[in-house]
Amino acid sequence: MALSTSAPNRGPDPAPPPSPAPAPARPRPAAGLRAPLFRWDQKAAPYAFVAPFFAFFAAFGLFPLLYTAYVSLHRVELQTSDRMEWLGLRNYTRLIEDPFFWNALRNTFTIGVLSTVPQLLMALGLAHLLNYRLRGRTFFRVAMLMPYATSVAAATLVFAQLFGRDYGLINWLLGTVGISPVDWQANTVASQIGVSTVVTWRWTGYNALIYLAGMQSIPGELYESAAMDGASRWQQFLHVTVPGLRPTILFTVVVSTIGATQLFGEPLLYEGSAAGGVSHQYQTLGLYMYEQGWGFFHLGRAAAIAWVMFLLIVVLVAVNAAIARRRSRTEG
Amino acid sequence: MGTDTAQPQTRGSGTALAPRPAPAVTAPPKSRRRGAAGRRMDGGPLAYAVLGVATLMFVFPFYWTVVAASRSNAELSAVPPALTPGGNLFHNIGEALQQAAIGKALLNSLIVSTTVTTGTVLCSTLAGFAFAKLRFRGRGALLALTVGTMMIPPQLGVIPLFMIIARLDMQGKLPAVILPTLVSAFGVFFMRQFLSQALPDELIEAGRVDGASHARIFRSIVLPVARPGMAVLGMLTFMATWNDFFWPIVALNSQNPTVQVALKSLGQGYVPDQSVVLAGTLLGTLPVLVVFGLLGRQIVGGIMQGAVKG
Amino acid sequence: MATAGAARTRAVTLGSAVLVLALAAGCSSSTSTKSAGGDTAKDGKVTLNVDLFGTFGFKEAGLYAEYQKLHPNIEIKQTDTQDEAQYWQALQTKLAGGGGLADVQGIEVGRIASVVQKQADKFTDLKSLGLGPASDELVPWKGSAATTPDGKLLGLGTDIGPEAMCFRADLFKQAGLPTDRDQLAQKWSTWDGYLALGKQYAAKAKAGNTWTDSAASVFAAEVGQQRVRYFDEQGKPVYETSPAVKAAWNTSVSLVKDGLSAELPEWTPEWNKAFSTGKFATLSCPAWMGGYIKGQAGDAGKGKWDVAPGPGKTGNWGGSYLAIPRTSKHAKEAADLIKWLTAEEQQVTLFKKLGSFPSNKAAQAAIKDVKDPYFSDAPIGQIFSEAAAAMPAQVLGADDQVVTKAFTDALGEVERTKTAPDAAWKHAMDNVRNATGG
Repeated sequence: MALSTSAPNRGPDPAPPPSPAPAPARPRPAAGLRAPLFRWDQKAAPYAFVAPFFAFFAAFGLFPLLYTAYVSLHRVELQTSDRMEWLGLRNYTRLIEDPFFWNALRNTFTIGVLSTVPQLLMALGLAHLLNYRLRGRTFFRVAMLMPYATSVAAATLVFAQLFGRDYGLINWLLGTVGISPVDWQANTVASQIGVSTVVTWRWTGYNALIYLAGMQSIPGELYESAAMDGASRWQQFLHVTVPGLRPTILFTVVVSTIGATQLFGEPLLYEGSAAGGVSHQYQTLGLYMYEQGWGFFHLGRAAAIAWVMFLLIVVLVAVNAAIARRRSRTEG
Repeated sequence: MGTDTAQPQTRGSGTALAPRPAPAVTAPPKSRRRGAAGRRMDGGPLAYAVLGVATLMFVFPFYWTVVAASRSNAELSAVPPALTPGGNLFHNIGEALQQAAIGKALLNSLIVSTTVTTGTVLCSTLAGFAFAKLRFRGRGALLALTVGTMMIPPQLGVIPLFMIIARLDMQGKLPAVILPTLVSAFGVFFMRQFLSQALPDELIEAGRVDGASHARIFRSIVLPVARPGMAVLGMLTFMATWNDFFWPIVALNSQNPTVQVALKSLGQGYVPDQSVVLAGTLLGTLPVLVVFGLLGRQIVGGIMQGAVKG
Repeated sequence: MATAGAARTRAVTLGSAVLVLALAAGCSSSTSTKSAGGDTAKDGKVTLNVDLFGTFGFKEAGLYAEYQKLHPNIEIKQTDTQDEAQYWQALQTKLAGGGGLADVQGIEVGRIASVVQKQADKFTDLKSLGLGPASDELVPWKGSAATTPDGKLLGLGTDIGPEAMCFRADLFKQAGLPTDRDQLAQKWSTWDGYLALGKQYAAKAKAGNTWTDSAASVFAAEVGQQRVRYFDEQGKPVYETSPAVKAAWNTSVSLVKDGLSAELPEWTPEWNKAFSTGKFATLSCPAWMGGYIKGQAGDAGKGKWDVAPGPGKTGNWGGSYLAIPRTSKHAKEAADLIKWLTAEEQQVTLFKKLGSFPSNKAAQAAIKDVKDPYFSDAPIGQIFSEAAAAMPAQVLGADDQVVTKAFTDALGEVERTKTAPDAAWKHAMDNVRNATGG
């Protein structure tokens, strides 16, 4: 599970990787006060420091996690959640024959691609531009980060208006250049683009800044020697910037993948319904889980979906890491 | 130091479990500034043009929110649509305050975010220090556990938590939102990474030689060094908590909402008037915009620093 | 450290600014809204929270103001969700979680069977508060539907939804259609007649103006004309096999095929906006829809809309109950309020101002001659009374609304994604099964 954290380190960093482990403590000076109280302090204090965190963490983090697995093996209804009826793996096996589940899985994937790929490509381009010496660079950076600070709910409400079929601004704009109105809600592709747009709008600037930070840490000498070899700006971007950013890119890909897998608020508020459109055409796994739990009141089924989502994330992150490792081997 | 990863939390609308660790990205060589500056080229007109258009895209939805919030419903469905602010802003804001309890939502969000930020920063600094600088049995395993749970989706904890608050009759009350989000694994990892680098072992040794207790070392040596890291973590946590979505909409309801819960109600037809919906959206976003006006540079700095220091 | 210090100072300034802002907002709102959960304030005032869906019209008709004048110690705070499906989901979560319930909750007629069968223990028996027996005051089926087998009364009936047809007289005139109510009723005495007239309208109407709002509203109106709709008396599902349901489906599908639907999903912002733009010329009108039209079309719509007896037989679409959750701390005061709201005089006021048709028999007798100036002085009293007298006493199923929602979505698919009707029908069946857990 720690893959996401360790994976990027495996890339060929242009700069030496940080030392993730703290420096080994040096032997303590032999002389010193050795009062029993002091010794007790030495032994117990570390646990006292981590105790507040772990107390809450165990109660509200670990326990629910495991209990969700337990719930997923039962029939539990929202209205009568204190009554549990053992089902074994039924909640899981029924997912296999559940067309809505597969639909949600497919949507999660397509919306994930639609939102992540353009987002990261644009972020890369913007970061490249921001890396020039610019007047008003702080202004640009802050403006780009503003969507990130906006909540999912606020952003989606605004975009849902802009994407209105009959009275939305975007269709009006399209109309002025002669394009007939697009049904941004009912049409499968259009609605997924609509939902992805909210995600892209919120995260592009953030990722651009992450890339920018990565770019600034690429040693200038690399560019100088590339320039001496006669590389154009574009070639420098391809052969110096992108390889140098590989660990950063991998990180953003992993984070975006995790985010895309959990996508929930945007599709929920896009039309305000947990069904994710009349044909569930943009219902994601996260939303389907919510619909089962709080729309149909089947908490047991919802728990099973939650666990499937978790396993999916583990697999995706592992795949990401494996690809990264292979690439670094073939190129290194 | 960890990259800010409030990202998956807000996007996935997370609970306490949500924030993810940033991987160590690229550690900057000490000469980075000089090296980078050496090759930085001036931006041409094209760069300004592209950035200008991009900025417009990023900012336009905010502008349009103001436009829509200041118009009437009928004006919103007019063709061609209104593109400049109208005169209905205060009327609509009044309606939003009245109908969707936005005022109460703002107060609730402030209480929740402040409490959670305080709790997270404190617990994270304590635990982060222990993980970074103290040796104790089980340290490796506990740290692995902390880091490992950072990629668990918020959806995974919501069902049992809901069943618990349902049984305790806590649904709709603020502690139901605060308690489960009070600590964050990401925060611990973040402070650990920060203190590993920022706090020289010699300082602690010196404290020990003087016979200071751990509590004292923490208070007079660790805290001052940790402050910048705490500030960044606090900023990120506050924003992430303010924007947290999934758990609050399950735990609270429109009678006693946070801002995001109120916005969800608005988005689900709690108020029929679209201009009022957007007035509510504007009110709920305003605090964030104010923060950005004042602290924008620091937030950008925090995120970029986080990204590089790894 | 200098920058960190500066940042801190700024952060403090900012923090206090935000704090002041939020406090100001919080205080200003708390004076107007009080706190939720029915608190008794220091001055002995009791705040009653009323949580509703759609347009009940109590507030719009000034009934709360009147009640507060009669009972100076009571303050009423109403919240309202337009879409009943959203309202119901939120209500279920609150009932399960025990928090955030109002003192009075509205219950749609399509949900009352579910409440009676599954959640009787969550609501107060109104008989224990001295209300009812309501059976002799209300139309018979209305009261019995809210009564448990062991005799607990869980809700007081507000309105019922006898059906008619609302139409835009101004647009009819422009398209050369008759605007005489009797003549129209004659022309659309059957649903086929309604479609035929729609085609006439479509041939003459301005581009972008369509005959009616959505297939779903036509479907709801036609199904509402059946005594047995989705579930039979034993609670057995018949929605898949019922010829009447299939007939309503076919009418709705033809409507879409002929291009007569504006394809607007009900209860959405786009639908709301279309009330004032003339996008559709007719709307299936259970009595309570009149209030919704007034709310959405506003003053500008006055005199443009009209009402005539509707197509097909007459039926019931919607109508509601008021119930008091067990959690209410002011059940007695809430009971007084709902008793007053559902009493004859208030029901008459509601009909006059908003068109909500009373389930109270005395009130029904009192409104027979009401005309509504908003609807071009249509004799709404007569039209809806006749509809109510002839409509069947519906058999209600616990999952009626679930089925309705599935058909609504499926018709939306036919309209907006050009899904083949047969495929959409199958989707509706799948959706019901998925939701009910079968």
